[in-house]
Amino acid sequence: MNFDWFPTFIAPERLWVLLVVPLMIAAYIYLVLRKKKTGMRFTNTAILSRVVPKQSQWRRHLAVALSLAALVALSFAWARPNGIEMVPRERATVVLVIDISQSMQATDVKPTRLDAAKEAALAFVKALPAQYNVSIVSLSGNPNVRLPPTVDRVQAQQAINGLKLQDSTAVGESIYVALNSLLLAPKGTDSTPAPGAIVLLSDGQNTAGRAPSQAAAEAKKQNVPVYTIAYGTDNGHVDLDGKREPVPPDRTLLTNIAQATGGQAFSAESLDQLNKVYNNIRSEVGQTPTKKETTALWAGYGLAFAVVAALAAVSLGTRWP
Amino acid sequence: MSVQPGFAPPPEEFGAVESVLHEPRAATIPLHKLAPEAALRRLELTVVRRLEGFLHGDHQGLLPGPGSEANDARMYVPGQDDVRKIDWAVTARTTVPYVRDTIADRELEIWALLDVTPSMNWGTEGVTKRDLGIAAIATIGFLSQRMGDRFGGLVMRPDQIKRYPAQSGRTALYGLLRRLLTEPIVSDHTTGPYSLAAGIQRMARTERRRGMRLVVSDFLTPGDFELDPNVEPEWERPMRQLAVRNQVLAVEVVDRHEIEFADVGDLLIRDPETNFERYVNTSDDAARERMDAATAAQRERIRIALRRAGAAHIQLRTDRDWVHDIARFVLAYRRTASMLHQPPAGVTK
Repeated sequence: MNFDWFPTFIAPERLWVLLVVPLMIAAYIYLVLRKKKTGMRFTNTAILSRVVPKQSQWRRHLAVALSLAALVALSFAWARPNGIEMVPRERATVVLVIDISQSMQATDVKPTRLDAAKEAALAFVKALPAQYNVSIVSLSGNPNVRLPPTVDRVQAQQAINGLKLQDSTAVGESIYVALNSLLLAPKGTDSTPAPGAIVLLSDGQNTAGRAPSQAAAEAKKQNVPVYTIAYGTDNGHVDLDGKREPVPPDRTLLTNIAQATGGQAFSAESLDQLNKVYNNIRSEVGQTPTKKETTALWAGYGLAFAVVAALAAVSLGTRWP
Repeated sequence: MSVQPGFAPPPEEFGAVESVLHEPRAATIPLHKLAPEAALRRLELTVVRRLEGFLHGDHQGLLPGPGSEANDARMYVPGQDDVRKIDWAVTARTTVPYVRDTIADRELEIWALLDVTPSMNWGTEGVTKRDLGIAAIATIGFLSQRMGDRFGGLVMRPDQIKRYPAQSGRTALYGLLRRLLTEPIVSDHTTGPYSLAAGIQRMARTERRRGMRLVVSDFLTPGDFELDPNVEPEWERPMRQLAVRNQVLAVEVVDRHEIEFADVGDLLIRDPETNFERYVNTSDDAARERMDAATAAQRERIRIALRRAGAAHIQLRTDRDWVHDIARFVLAYRRTASMLHQPPAGVTK
């Protein structure tokens, strides 16, 4: 059973008041049955059924059910529930790991994979909140920190534009490099490092360096989520030394990394999709779930139920013309 | 210390009103209140149809025999006919001796069919409809206590028809009435093969001797909501068959609140016979008016159907004095009976 939706309460002992609800339901059912027993006998019902319109009973039951629902909601509100709310993060460090292996020259993503990735990364960096640190790491056989964490967007754009193709792909190694880069992030006013996140864009198999799973475990240990983007189509290919090499993205590898670190795995096959993925990642990175008292919300639910119940009761009480 | 006399009011008697909530447990009227026997002695129920009893009675029979009414004249048969019966006027005109026959005077045999289906166990005034029906049987029974007249009863329950053989004399009539009153109340929703139509058919088939037939019912067919008098109710055809050879009196028992729908607020209404269950807002004036109009039309249909079947029709209400109503009926009946009970073509009167 999953009780994620169920709020935690500041004053859970007040929930005992909910015991009234089953008592009221039992009393209602008992009274309804009793009323059924004490109906009036009448002989000429054949005519009666034709002459007198049928009175629907659902409004009575609706009024009772909604009143009880209002009661439940208000009891919850009284017990001061805590809900999870997404709150924008004050500051964060985002390490952008961009694949620059030879496979990125494939043209299945127009104009080339690398150019499209650069364009999307530029837009992503530009859209990040200004107080966020950005770091750029190039992913090849020899991953490098191209830009240590900084809030300077001009440097970030230059670093992205300066990426050039290199040989080989070391996914695991690049995560280590990204983790090291996070350590360079400037401390905040309370001398704690800003929470970090790694955005890893890769389009091919891991060909060098330490195992990605090991790197993912390390990231998990440092509490850094890795958001992965499997980039490119399955039909992508590059011509190297006159030989045609297929370069499909390794989706399972990237999904495993994301799951192991508490991040999310995405895949993109075009510039548009890549932009969308970056948008998703931005909202994921930019917000943090926070516990907050949601008494007003539950009181609002109670009010809504009570209003509908009151309407039903009013419609029962009045005689419509 | 002397014992204080009890000034407490007598226990409240709700009478038949409780039948609105649940089926009554026993009869709502004692035997001695059914009919004032002495007061009824001076009234006589007009019998217009000829009878075929086998005893000497006070009513006109069907066949020749010793009696007071003159019949045809026929030739005198020496040795067979009484000389004192010779009709001298006819003998003089024809020069042949003629005797004047008489029609035998016979006793009357009355059979009463009492409908005791659950819808009869209902009444909002002093008595339930069933007990009013028994009172009507008692009243008409005492009216027809001439020499040798016999009175029998059929009790129509949904599951069976009980037959109490016809016997003469007031003691036997009291016995019949007591048995009708102590007849177990039919519980609600009892199912069975007998409806009013089947009961009437059964009476027409088993009681063959000509006489008077009493059908006591509310003439409501469960589930029949027809109001058009041109549509025959289910029981009209057996009723007409019964009226071919018999003088039929239909006693329709109704309650005041069957005719005037009561204003008792918003409540569940159940039928004692069908599965009908519905919340009805009886305080709705327009609905009550419609209901009253429909009931009036329904009663009119019953009246027309009974008239069409050739039966005399008495309507008794639980809130009225049935002895008074029956006495009024009997007085008017003296003039109308011979017209009411015209037999169909080809059937002897």
